[in-house]
Amino acid sequence: MKKRIYYWVYEKYIDKPVISKVILETKVMINILMAKMRPQESFLILELSGSEKQIEEALDLLEKYGEYEDIPKIIEKNRERCIDCGACVVHCPVKAIYQDEDYSIVFKEEECIGCKNCAKICPLKAIKVFDI
Amino acid sequence: MKTIREINERIKKGDAVVLTAEEMIEVVEEMGPEGAAKEVDVVTTGTFGAMCSSGVFLNFGHADPPIKMMKTYLNGVEAYSGLAAVDAYLGAAQPNSDDDIDINYGGAHVIEDLVAGKEVRLVAEGYTTDCYPRKKVSTTITLDDVNQAILVNPRNCYQTYAAATNSREEKIYTYMGTLLPEYSNINYSGAGQLNPLQNDYNRERKTFNTIGIGTKIFLGGGIGYVIGEGTQHDPDKAFGTLMVKGDLKTMSPKFLRAATIPNYGCTLYIGIGIPIPVLNEEVAKACAVRDEDIEVPILDYGVPRRDRPVVARTNYKELRKGEVTIEIYDSDLGRVVEKTVKTASVSSYKKSREVAEELKKWILNGEFTLSEPVAPLGRGSCKPMKAEAKLVRDILSRPPIVAKQNISIEEAARILTEKNINHLPIVDEEGRLIGIVTSWDIARAVAQNINSISEIMTRHVISSTLDEPIDVVARKMSRYDISGVPVIDKSGKVVGIVTAEDLSKLLGYRKF
Ligand code: SF4
Ligand code: SF4
Repeated sequence: MKKRIYYWVYEKYIDKPVISKVILETKVMINILMAKMRPQESFLILELSGSEKQIEEALDLLEKYGEYEDIPKIIEKNRERCIDCGACVVHCPVKAIYQDEDYSIVFKEEECIGCKNCAKICPLKAIKVFDI
Repeated sequence: MKTIREINERIKKGDAVVLTAEEMIEVVEEMGPEGAAKEVDVVTTGTFGAMCSSGVFLNFGHADPPIKMMKTYLNGVEAYSGLAAVDAYLGAAQPNSDDDIDINYGGAHVIEDLVAGKEVRLVAEGYTTDCYPRKKVSTTITLDDVNQAILVNPRNCYQTYAAATNSREEKIYTYMGTLLPEYSNINYSGAGQLNPLQNDYNRERKTFNTIGIGTKIFLGGGIGYVIGEGTQHDPDKAFGTLMVKGDLKTMSPKFLRAATIPNYGCTLYIGIGIPIPVLNEEVAKACAVRDEDIEVPILDYGVPRRDRPVVARTNYKELRKGEVTIEIYDSDLGRVVEKTVKTASVSSYKKSREVAEELKKWILNGEFTLSEPVAPLGRGSCKPMKAEAKLVRDILSRPPIVAKQNISIEEAARILTEKNINHLPIVDEEGRLIGIVTSWDIARAVAQNINSISEIMTRHVISSTLDEPIDVVARKMSRYDISGVPVIDKSGKVVGIVTAEDLSKLLGYRKF
């Protein structure tokens, strides 16, 4: 599974390799989607992937060195506007959009990286992308 | 075997057997066309796709004092009003008159807003007469305020449509959607086995079994009628189209939707469902058409000509699986290679199903009976326009002025000023194009103290060929914001250059 979080490192740990430690100890994969490092502040957007247990462990560990918050949604499909055509599917770089058996178009919102490709090509303007 | 009147009686009594075109496939497979014709009364079909050739006739009623409307705008979108005083036709593909809004809110969007019950700004101007003294009118209206809002679509409900891919090295934006470079996606459109005309097509006679002028249909969530064959109707090639009409006031945004195809235009998605009375075996047989029976050519939209090359042939079943394997020529390898390409639909199969289901429900409830057509559809015609294409070879006059890479910046500058030109193609020993230098590059070289042509020339040159239409060259210039395009022959030798000046004289384009 995948999980995305906002993460603020506590000031006293800013100079420590927190992320590497979490990776080494839990073997979780971490993709840093955004990082803002300042002398007094360190803020990251992380995508964790691994088993449910690994992710739980990783979050426990991360909590020791900072605070995290679940990322709300990056994109939102307007159900009323979407006509389930499927034109957006191929434009998603991370396969977060797929066509279901009944031809509905489904967004795996937790896998979206917010690239906005789908929003740009959707003829119905059915996709809203929240800026992160 | 059966008549429409008999079927209608059964509908009214609630005894009619109604199936969707998808359900009918299995029934014909099990019982054969003969058995199915006995068992089933009506097959409902459906399609939901972009139908640019759509629009609405509006009658606004008379103002006091009255006006003869000549220029009419609804939320900034122009409607054609070269008709009687307060009649207008608003086309779905009309962009906004405000260039900043353009295709993001056009005719289709006004139509959807009207159907959704929203207020729309009406602004009109006319010339004054003794009976129409008013010059201008500006007011706000809703669908309830107009006398008539009649959707009349000259071409809807295509029987089938070719799929699209792109051989070019760049992304292109077409009415078939965004096509990625080098055959990276295939876009297709069409309801296939659910499409009304597919299910009514008589493959032996190349005509339509039951659909004719006067056939009552489901149109945009309301009731409509077929008023004849559509424009470009071509039953001989299994490319039938329909002209339809319906009362916009009965339609719903669920089945009528405005859209903007990125960098192309605005269009209207409409749901159309047609009931097919299963009068006999022949009709039943046609209704058993499956996605795999309908051939779909895949065309290369990278070639901007009317006759686009066919890259491969497939069918709707394969297209709906999400990927298709095609054979393409790889110029780097110098041979044909297989490539598996992702497919995407630009129409909606799910919505097409909803249309067929909805129509089935109406018939089962006894709310919708079938109509007897008054005449068959016409034979139609779909021939090309009688317009000559002016090709690059027709406008090239002077021999090309070119230079080798080893000349100095000063020499290049001298050639440009002496010959009074702005573009200097750079060629190799054999005269093949390797780069281009413009007067702007020379100015830059002088300012930055650069001494060699190879440092300032553009290597990735946008070029043209002798057989390319000049409109295509003009499009390249505007797309890449350049003002000169060298023309090369098959071996890459420069044979001339086309400049923005040449074209603006010929085509009357204002800017590139
Ligand atoms: S392109 Fe837009 S309308 Fe089509 S399936 Fe995707 S979100 Fe829905
Ligand atoms: S925003 Fe990008 S990553 Fe997210 S669903 Fe759309 S195409 Fe995929």
